Amino acid sequence: MGQGAAAGTPPFAAETAVELVGVGKSFGPVTAVRELSLAIRRGEVLTLLGPSGCGKTTLLNMIAGFEEPSAGRILIDGRDVTEVPPYLRDTGMVFQSYALFPHMDVFENVAFGLRMRKLPKAKIAAEVMRALEMVKLGGLERRRVRQLSGGQQQRVALARAIVLRPKVLLLDEPLSALDKNLRAQMQVELKELHERTRLTTLFVTHDQGEALSLSDRIVVMSRGEIQQIAAPIELYRHPANSFVASFIGEINRLPPARCRLSGGEIVFSLAGIELTAARRDDLALGDGQQVHLFVRPEHLAVAAEAAGGRNRIACRVVTHVYQGTHTLTRVEAGALGVLQLRVPGGAVIERAPPGSEIGVEINLDEAVALPD
Amino acid sequence: MKHRVPRRRPFFLAFLLPSLLAAGLFLAALGDVLQYSFRTFIPGSLDVGGFTLENFLRIGRPIYLSVLLDTVTISVLTALFTLLLSYPVAYALVRARRDWVRTLLIILAITPLFTGEIVRTYAWILVLGSNGFVNSLLKDAGLITAPLSLLYTRFGVTVALVQFSMPVMIILLATAISHVDRNCERAAANLGAPPLMVFWRVTLPLTMPGVISGTIVIFAWTMSAFSTPQLIGGGKVLMISNLVYLQGLSTFNFPFAAVLSLLALLVAMGSLGLIRPAIRRLERRVALH
Amino acid sequence: MSPRLAARLGSGLFWAAVALILAYMTIPALVVLMTSLSPSELLEFPPSGLSLKWYARAVSYPDFQAAFANGLIVTAFASTCALAVGSAFAYLIDRYVFPGRAALEAVLSSPLIVPHFTTGFGFLLLGAGLGIGRSYLLVILAHVMLVLPFVIRSVYVSLRNLDPHLERAAANLGASPWRVLSRVTLPLLLPGMAGGWLVAAILSLTEFTASLYVTAERTQTLPVAMYTYIREYTDPTIAAIAALLILGTTALIFVANRYLGLRRILSIDAH
Repeated sequence: MGQGAAAGTPPFAAETAVELVGVGKSFGPVTAVRELSLAIRRGEVLTLLGPSGCGKTTLLNMIAGFEEPSAGRILIDGRDVTEVPPYLRDTGMVFQSYALFPHMDVFENVAFGLRMRKLPKAKIAAEVMRALEMVKLGGLERRRVRQLSGGQQQRVALARAIVLRPKVLLLDEPLSALDKNLRAQMQVELKELHERTRLTTLFVTHDQGEALSLSDRIVVMSRGEIQQIAAPIELYRHPANSFVASFIGEINRLPPARCRLSGGEIVFSLAGIELTAARRDDLALGDGQQVHLFVRPEHLAVAAEAAGGRNRIACRVVTHVYQGTHTLTRVEAGALGVLQLRVPGGAVIERAPPGSEIGVEINLDEAVALPD
Repeated sequence: MKHRVPRRRPFFLAFLLPSLLAAGLFLAALGDVLQYSFRTFIPGSLDVGGFTLENFLRIGRPIYLSVLLDTVTISVLTALFTLLLSYPVAYALVRARRDWVRTLLIILAITPLFTGEIVRTYAWILVLGSNGFVNSLLKDAGLITAPLSLLYTRFGVTVALVQFSMPVMIILLATAISHVDRNCERAAANLGAPPLMVFWRVTLPLTMPGVISGTIVIFAWTMSAFSTPQLIGGGKVLMISNLVYLQGLSTFNFPFAAVLSLLALLVAMGSLGLIRPAIRRLERRVALH
Repeated sequence: MSPRLAARLGSGLFWAAVALILAYMTIPALVVLMTSLSPSELLEFPPSGLSLKWYARAVSYPDFQAAFANGLIVTAFASTCALAVGSAFAYLIDRYVFPGRAALEAVLSSPLIVPHFTTGFGFLLLGAGLGIGRSYLLVILAHVMLVLPFVIRSVYVSLRNLDPHLERAAANLGASPWRVLSRVTLPLLLPGMAGGWLVAAILSLTEFTASLYVTAERTQTLPVAMYTYIREYTDPTIAAIAALLILGTTALIFVANRYLGLRRILSIDAH
């Protein structure tokens, strides 16, 4: 087996903790991960986000060494670990099901990795206690793991991984087994834990909310391919393609439009309607170009009058879905099809009952235009 | 699981009666054994005399005690070797990556269970006999000049018994291994445990209930083996079952045969009954239920 | 040695051990097949030629013919009776709580633990007591008891895997308890019952120890006849019969695996 960097391997950068170079995986005729390259920066939380079956867990398993890549190299701290068995990789994995050892108590679970490294007893005890304090489980070290709640089990799994100060922390959908309230709380705690430990973290999830709130950068994956790598805000505001646009958050996809540049504005003509937007750097469109416009529900508003005015169209209300802080209102917008609005509060439900005619104003300031 | 308790019980009586009848028959058969064990043997007659305890005292004679000891020794050895040989096969059966390998393994592993004890015992006569497979092989290889005596020895009996017991043990162990969360083993590896350490610290402890119950089941099973010691032991290796046969169907001493049958029954039930609470506790510990 | 090489080596050693152990389990059957095809009267390895004469002798030997017929009669009745009794009982323990349930369950599953010679001896004494001697009836009764635990287990597992909502749905749609049982429950239990029956039939057909006690010359089953033959003769006629039984059961197991899925039945698929 060839050691070291294959031809074309970029030089190892000091701030890179984990690097995948042309890594791909197929199971027989099925391609799980198409050859891709990716670098995880030291100390960041990088999230693999995508629908189930997009290859994110396979990628995680390859980094941990549970699956062998069909192609490419994996480097951890600059060392090629492609051929290294899992137990010598120094990655810290938190499994979706936690995979706590049911025949050991909390202390023994957390101590397991330290024992494998043959640390002195006193040192092990101290480290375990410190890790348990860090995940707020002090005093529970002699509990059996089955006597713990889901959230506590989650913390044990975390402590078991971070106590070893792994080169990279691998989190495989760690919150998916928790109920909704606990999940929100653990999100906060994960964030705080990361602040304190600064461990390089690779986080796998299919939940965009989790991804947006926890990550420094997000890798959106679909069908074994990377769709976009960006910081959360960037990803939400400037999705690179229609998959990312519709996967992250709610979005309205308008029919194909042709652009026309006129002075400081761009005019989109679609289905017999004209919508105008101020020219912006990120809307570098040519005259006559064919695009799809994507508009978030929060950028649609109920107008005072039914028609007339800039970017205002006449619609008929279909349904309201009340959500407490806001209402999602679906309207029939003629040639534009069905649009979804996010209206603050719930007053709109009485003001515009289903079937009534209203005007909707489309704010294109943050709209995304993607080529056809 | 909670049982549904409907107010009306359709089919209850109709379904219960046959089972009651079957249970009654079986208890009657065992009751007969119990009854005969207290009766006086009348040599030369199938009828029995009045009640006595003499049959039970007869077990204490050295010749019977040594048979009992042999039976226990052979059963313990068989159970242990069966465990040692079955674990790797069971592990491979559960963890082989390819589907066809697992299918092949299960077919090879459990087929001997269904060919019946006579066929299996006869097969071992062919393998172990003085002109048998093993001796011919060794002779052709020039390793021996005179055939080894493998038949009619405790060694031969044990070798055959282990092979008979393996299918059951493999099934029990494979069930236990398949209940071990794969991710627990992966977690151990991820925390730095080399493969053997993963086995020793995670897989084995988690399958311990299966290991113990399997070993005891095979022990009890071997205690009551008959055709193997009968044919491969050839009268030179006697187990309790052979004694029952001799006493019952050769000497027609039904009362003493009854006592020996009861003894075997008690040892079997006792060893299985004793471990049940221990297994339960262990299963709770590793949280299988 | 690099860890990767060590891992490869370790896994190689492991599979070599598994192969050796499987050879140990399988070689006796292969030796039987080899012997059955040998032309020689004495057992010899390797055989000096190829011949089917022992098969001809085996199938034409009157004792074996009679014993085989006996075995089929006993097996047919015993496994069918056991299926009826066992399915009914499995249904009871799945559905109802009643006094004595645990005791009844213990008694009906105890033939697994009670040594076969104790069971056989007990039924021998019972037969004498009831005045039915070593008749077919006695042999069948003994076999029913011996295979009953397997049938109960198999049907019980199927019942457990049954979605209880299906029966409720049928009842909700207006089906009487009898219609629910015959149109919903029974059809869904068929695979489990078929599996249970098959296991019962194979075990009954090959049962030896208890049969030795409860059969007379007139009612002896094939394994008993084979035992008698082995004690008297040493020629490979038995090898031919044994080979037929081995091939038959192997074929059956292949079929069972194909249509019922052995790993699923034995619940040994990795989670």
